[in-house]
Amino acid sequence: MLLKSILIGLVSVFRILDSRVLGRLNFERPLITCTIVGLILGDVKTGLLVGAQMEMITLGMMSVGASGIDMNMGAITGCALVIMSGASIEAALTIALPMTLLDNLLDSIASIIRINFCHLCDRYVDEGNYRVAKRVHIAYGPILYSIQAFIPVFVAVYLGSDFINTILRAVPEFIMSGISLGANIISFFGFAMLLSTMVNKKNVVFFLLGFFITAFSGMNLTGIAIISIIAAIVLYQLKYSDKGMSGENEVDELSDQKL
Amino acid sequence: MSEEGLEAQRSYPLNKKLREFFWGGWCMQAMWNYERQMNTAFMWGMSNTIDRIYNKPEEDAKRKEAYKRHLEFFNITPQFGSFVLGLSAAMEEEYAADPDGFDPKMINSVKVALMGPLSGIGDSLFQGTIRVIAMSIGISLAQQGSILGPIFAMLISFGTSFPITWYGGKLGYINGQKYLQEISKSNLMDKVMYGCSIAGLMVIGGMVAGLVNITTPLAFGKAFQLQAVLDGIFPKMIPLALTGIMFYFVKKGAKPMAVILSCFVVGIVLNYFKILAV
Repeated sequence: MLLKSILIGLVSVFRILDSRVLGRLNFERPLITCTIVGLILGDVKTGLLVGAQMEMITLGMMSVGASGIDMNMGAITGCALVIMSGASIEAALTIALPMTLLDNLLDSIASIIRINFCHLCDRYVDEGNYRVAKRVHIAYGPILYSIQAFIPVFVAVYLGSDFINTILRAVPEFIMSGISLGANIISFFGFAMLLSTMVNKKNVVFFLLGFFITAFSGMNLTGIAIISIIAAIVLYQLKYSDKGMSGENEVDELSDQKL
Repeated sequence: MSEEGLEAQRSYPLNKKLREFFWGGWCMQAMWNYERQMNTAFMWGMSNTIDRIYNKPEEDAKRKEAYKRHLEFFNITPQFGSFVLGLSAAMEEEYAADPDGFDPKMINSVKVALMGPLSGIGDSLFQGTIRVIAMSIGISLAQQGSILGPIFAMLISFGTSFPITWYGGKLGYINGQKYLQEISKSNLMDKVMYGCSIAGLMVIGGMVAGLVNITTPLAFGKAFQLQAVLDGIFPKMIPLALTGIMFYFVKKGAKPMAVILSCFVVGIVLNYFKILAV
């Protein structure tokens, strides 16, 4: 029990470090972390299902600059407690919500500490103590993030499964299914957040194109992902291939790399 | 003068320098703070370059000045951080070679000028397009109980993030300023944005229609079922409408946490009165 809680806590550390020192490789996402939780607790199947469910609901959520939200920590805790207590997959959502609130709260406290670290770094540079100034960035920052990621998950998993079971049994059925409906509605907030970063009056047709192809054909997401990439390439060629001969080749090489 | 340091920097193996830019980029958010965001990260990414150029005790004033220069406000998509680090390192070399003719203020102006556009493209490319495509494929596989889902999602993310960060640093360091001019001449930014917006938006459209289905159980007798009427017009109308409503809230600047909490309340109410269902 103790060992398992520590391991799940470490999954949460891995989750936060993904965006801190690995440039955000999406390893922080529920689909991946919940699968790892499933591997640790010996129930990969449930891990995958909870991961897919949580990923669907939070897929749109992204962090732009300082604002934004994610339920990545809540997903790890929810998945672990669902597997350990044998509750239904939907219960993961119910657990994820308070954990997300807690995560937000802890981060606002940690962000005050990080501003102090920033000033500390200034001071070390002033004193000519460059080695320690570098350490503030590469050690102090990630360590603080790790503590902030480990403790809540560890405590929730260590104390949680009996507690969660009692609560889940006490909550009436219509509240549980209502929460499940609410969580599904939240996913549209995520889609809207994603949409708002890219959409304008001119390109909204592409959103509608993707929507109607999928709505009428019932195609799965892999299908629409492949079609969208092909459409982007075709339309790009139509728009840019005939114009401006000089220096065009070099530029094309560059844009291929970036895409 | 710092000729010796400059020589040390120039003769230092290229791959080792690129490795510094690469990790500098990936560690961009390791000490994210509300005051100057990724400032310590940029300093850390530049520190070895600065240490090599100003390696003598009598150059400490210049070294300190350079450290402080890179502790200014900075923010970028981590994968593009390496490009800016490489470019800045090249400009630091230029400054060290010609301290009287090259204005060091230029280094920070270039950084500031790149921040906005590169972050805009970076967020659309990595979070809006690559992540969404990787996770969409991953979800469809995971729902069938296949562990290939998360594995593919990881491979797609890593397979794009790694080369872009690595070659970004190389591009910035070796030919950054030349490319900068070419980029603005050829409106590369617009081109990348154009491609990303098509692929990204189509997948988001597909997600709205295919990922989460919400229907209405509202019916009056057997003859009138609202869902059947809606489906007669076009399928998945409720998901599209919900996206529209949420889009309005996002544009109004609603607080994410407030929206999430109210969604749960609304969900419980609508479920209780059997207006909407999953």
